[in-house]
Amino acid sequence: MSIEMSRMKFYCDDDRCIDCDGCTVACAEAHELPVGVSRRKVVTLNEGVEGKEFSTSVACMHCTDAPCEQVCPVDCFYIREDGIVLHDKDICIGCGYCLYACPFGAPQFPRDGAFGSKGAMDKCTMCAGGPLETNSIEERELYGLNLISEGKVPVCAAMCSTKALIVGDAQDVANIYRTRIAARGKGVQGAPYGWSTAYGK
Amino acid sequence: MKHILLLCLTVLSGFASAVAGKVPLASHDIVPKNGGDLLVSSQMVENILDYQKYGDLFTYLQAHYFRAIFLGILIGVFIVFLLHYLIVGAKSFSHSGKKVLVYSIFKRVIHWTAALAFVVIIPTGLIMVFGKELGGGTFVLYARELHAIFTVVFIVSIFPMLLFWFVDMLPTWYDIKWVFMAGGYLSKKVTEVPAGKFNAGQKMWFWVATLGGMVMIMTGAAMYFQSFDFGIASSLGLTQIDLLRAAAIVHNIFAFAVLALFITHLYMSLFAIKGSLDSMVSGYKSEDELKYMHSVFYKKLKKEGKI
Amino acid sequence: MANTWGYGAMTNSLNDIQNAKSIIIFGANPAVNHPVGFRHFLMAKERNNAQLIVVDPRYTRTAAKADLYAQIRPGTDIPFMYGMLNIIFKNGWEDKKFINDRVYGVEDIRVEAAKWTPEKVADITGVSVEKLMQITRVHAKSTPGTLIWAMGLTQHTIGSSNTRMAPILQLCLGNMGVEGGGCNILRGHDNVQGATDMCCLSHTLPGYYGLSAGSWKYFAKSWGVDYEWLAGRFKDKKWMSAKGFTLSRWWSGVLGGKAGEDKITNAGTNVKALVCMGNGLTSIAQQAKVKEALDELELLVIADPFMNEGAILTDKKDGIYILPAASQFETSGSVTATNRSAQWRSQVIEPLYESKTDQDIMFALAKGLGFYEQFTKGMLIKENKKTFKFPEDATDEIARIIKTIGLTGWTAARLKKHQANWDKFDTISLRGYGPMKGEYYGLPWPCWTESHSGSPVLYNIHRSVKEGGMGFRNRFGLEHDGQNLLAGKGSAPKNSANKDGYPEITAKNIESVLGIKLTASEKKRIGKNWKVDTSNIIAEKCMERGIAPYGNAKARAKVWTFPDAIPIHREPLHSPRADLAKVYPTYKDKPNHYRVDTQYISKQTEKNWSKEFPINLITGRLVNMNGAGVETRSSKYLAHLSPEMFCDINPGLAANHGIRNGDMMWVHSPEGTKIKVKAKFSYSVSEDRVFLPMHFAGHFQGEDLSHKYPENTLPYAVGESANTVTNYGYDIVTQIPETKGGLCRIEKA
Repeated sequence: MSIEMSRMKFYCDDDRCIDCDGCTVACAEAHELPVGVSRRKVVTLNEGVEGKEFSTSVACMHCTDAPCEQVCPVDCFYIREDGIVLHDKDICIGCGYCLYACPFGAPQFPRDGAFGSKGAMDKCTMCAGGPLETNSIEERELYGLNLISEGKVPVCAAMCSTKALIVGDAQDVANIYRTRIAARGKGVQGAPYGWSTAYGK
Repeated sequence: MKHILLLCLTVLSGFASAVAGKVPLASHDIVPKNGGDLLVSSQMVENILDYQKYGDLFTYLQAHYFRAIFLGILIGVFIVFLLHYLIVGAKSFSHSGKKVLVYSIFKRVIHWTAALAFVVIIPTGLIMVFGKELGGGTFVLYARELHAIFTVVFIVSIFPMLLFWFVDMLPTWYDIKWVFMAGGYLSKKVTEVPAGKFNAGQKMWFWVATLGGMVMIMTGAAMYFQSFDFGIASSLGLTQIDLLRAAAIVHNIFAFAVLALFITHLYMSLFAIKGSLDSMVSGYKSEDELKYMHSVFYKKLKKEGKI
Repeated sequence: MANTWGYGAMTNSLNDIQNAKSIIIFGANPAVNHPVGFRHFLMAKERNNAQLIVVDPRYTRTAAKADLYAQIRPGTDIPFMYGMLNIIFKNGWEDKKFINDRVYGVEDIRVEAAKWTPEKVADITGVSVEKLMQITRVHAKSTPGTLIWAMGLTQHTIGSSNTRMAPILQLCLGNMGVEGGGCNILRGHDNVQGATDMCCLSHTLPGYYGLSAGSWKYFAKSWGVDYEWLAGRFKDKKWMSAKGFTLSRWWSGVLGGKAGEDKITNAGTNVKALVCMGNGLTSIAQQAKVKEALDELELLVIADPFMNEGAILTDKKDGIYILPAASQFETSGSVTATNRSAQWRSQVIEPLYESKTDQDIMFALAKGLGFYEQFTKGMLIKENKKTFKFPEDATDEIARIIKTIGLTGWTAARLKKHQANWDKFDTISLRGYGPMKGEYYGLPWPCWTESHSGSPVLYNIHRSVKEGGMGFRNRFGLEHDGQNLLAGKGSAPKNSANKDGYPEITAKNIESVLGIKLTASEKKRIGKNWKVDTSNIIAEKCMERGIAPYGNAKARAKVWTFPDAIPIHREPLHSPRADLAKVYPTYKDKPNHYRVDTQYISKQTEKNWSKEFPINLITGRLVNMNGAGVETRSSKYLAHLSPEMFCDINPGLAANHGIRNGDMMWVHSPEGTKIKVKAKFSYSVSEDRVFLPMHFAGHFQGEDLSHKYPENTLPYAVGESANTVTNYGYDIVTQIPETKGGLCRIEKA
């Protein structure tokens, strides 16, 4: 697996996710986010309904053909070769279009503009920082940690209690996913929840 | 259309419950974890599968059509009127006869306030639409802030305007005739044109500016506040994010109409009739102009003996 | 549990759960309380095709991952398990050989189980006949099966019966002493197991030695302290062996003797001062009483890194001392995990500002009270030193003295080696490799000698004692009612010199049981029995001969010293089924129960509680909060996840009271207290019960106490404490509060 071929993906195994919010808090702590901004959120559906309840962790999926990038009026997004979708907060005007375009609700808007209007958009960077100089103080303050540049795993997946949340090269992630499905011997599931929306067929 | 009407109605009624600030009884939705933010709740995951409803539509329209249409309108409408000015030219009327007071001081003040609002709102809106070409960043950001601030100015002026010109602007049967004549603007000749105090063209602009303007206010406010909960979304059977997407689409589409008719109004009131700008400053229109351009209104005034 | 087979700790480990084929959970919620440990459960499901069965009053996050779920009425676990045994015995699914060789008293269990038909169980527990049969069949036929529990089983008036019933079930199925089986109690906090082992409790000396004169003398000798001097610290020698107050009723010690309060037996005086080190005062039931007691105290000392909200609850204006204690990062030492493994922790930072470590606070206190020398002498004995190094010498002191649970092998040096090599252990079996070969991770106790490997699976006779094998403990005598209590023939641990059952090893029987001869010098040095053998000769000899020092006996299903010899069902003090409370009444009132005359039947029959308080009250935990909660509510991100106290309520039940999602509601308790909380709709609770998380404090009966917090100590989230409305009710043996089985009344605020 060479660097050129790698394409980073997120995968949250809803058979393992127990809604512990470790990922949410790890992300918030690592990037020192303001309290209202949750780059990653865990959502539980059908709570209390036997056999139907499930939990999943949602953040930016770094989609192929990212819709956020398509709709941005100021074109502040840029997509890395490995598929990680990032944006420039200095160009962003906080209009909210990316949020409307996003199937996963990833873009967050802190209310720190004039008269409490939305400030520049913030979202999961897959711990890959931003357009500023890698590992500089400015990058850290505006975008958070840049772990990808150090070859480390994003904190959310690193922290996941049950290793429901996995991130990495698409091939590796798909292999893990397939192994688990085979071990469970259950059903024929085409792809993890939300993958077709994010990464296309 | 139904969605838009419902939107208007429920906002007005929804304000009451807004003050109470209670969380709505959505079917699967328990009190959302993240401090009541409707965008972060079990709706979020349901929205992923529901993306086809408005998410796909919004992305497609915004990515491929909106900018092109805005550009088309800007250029197209401008060229149409440029050609008109060059080919047909302006109409002028004698100002030696009597003058009739048609706009009171209050109406003029309100009109100019609204005009000020439009003059800031529309260009700033266009700056945002073409933000990419303008480099984004601080410049476009300030445009966005101004766009929002001057909405307040707009609100203050547009509601009185709706009220005091409501009756005069109601459509009449002779408006159809006016439309077929294109208001007489296609010929250099000055002939009597069937119109009341306001002609069909003015009426169209009025309704787009007031009712359409209110739709703009509400959809714009929805996008501005983003995370609010007045029971609107649930009463329309939409999730919050779909409400925002619908608001964005409606806002843009109405903007087409507002932009087109605004340029038209500018041309009509600044260039097409000589001295019409004066009318909105002094409040008076010449008898001559009224006789030809607002013939029905003129006949009525004559009958009442005001002339 | 200790009364069933000798030790009262988790018998296997979290890692071992991956070997199970059936995992049945009673009243525990590991997805919330042990999220990382829960990975083992999930991997068991994935890799081992294990069936996960959850029996819980509400549909928790753990239940969401279960293959089978039973929504049981709180406090009816004994009928449920008897129902299971009824089906098991009827179908002959029990492990007859195991029972014959290693269990005493099953005949009485059979008689009782026969009464509990599935239909009767359905009526009492609310679990359908089909569900019961399904669960029983799966658990009985998928072996090895492990049984998990936590507070859901223990926090009842019959908690001590519940925790015997579960072992009996596992014993009958032959699931004990095998990998993938066992009774696995999940301890709830970091190092609770260690605290339990050191017996920070009022009824025993450290290491479960009890309070007999013999035990006191052993400790006196081991600490190098004069026994008479120790006795002189008590008002009267008889108080040396008297159990003290428990954590759940300390406040009775303060209020005893007042009108309406339970009487106390406390040498004619009341408790006047309280020193509270790292304990959530607001996590105890009956907060209104706790407040009264705090107000009455003459002296209250609190030592904690965060603001202990007991100091906020009280209206006391003077005589409160708040000492800043250092956190675990500012000190080092060993901690014991729920599976009995020890881990060494290193200091990463010096105590911040003026905070002091717990040990320094205690040393200062000892100095002030005048017994510092006696307090610390024990640490100097092993190497005959003049000054001690803390915590290494304290760890070695523990290893030197505590033999009951075999801590002899837990020297500081060995534990530190495990810390340095913690990557060299298998994650399922805990076996070490490379430099850690021959040891299990953390040397799970009993670790009989300084070279012993540790015992990851208790009561496992398929391994030699040297490798952690052992039978059940001989703790209850050699015979009862004419029946032999020692293990059956041939059921000794592998490679044992003695192949049958044998008693616990004493100086008198060591030669005959082990088949050895002692030298004269050994005979002189050897201790009276394996528990007080300072010479370690007994343990060493036992290891050589493959003998477990504590004997090889049968586990007992009958505990003849308990109020109920075999577990029987008794309704909670405040039962929603008044009809059943008549058929299955609670115990007689117990005088001088840890010094407090504790009510049982008089409380249950005081009135028909269910008429006025028809809703079952369940308390439990949230994943982002810990214990009394002030530490986690002071973390902005954690607090943001659950910023307000709430009550999980079924929408149907809420509708009956006109309560909408997000409305404020009152929860009233039979004690006369009430709390105002926000209603949160949830289908995880049925219409006859509500759920309250236990982590909040800072409000009291509708009043906001935020203004009482000292400057800069107010947490980001405050709210009502669930324990303001938890009911009166205490276990008959341990006095643990019945927080999992109470009643309440709700109304819209």
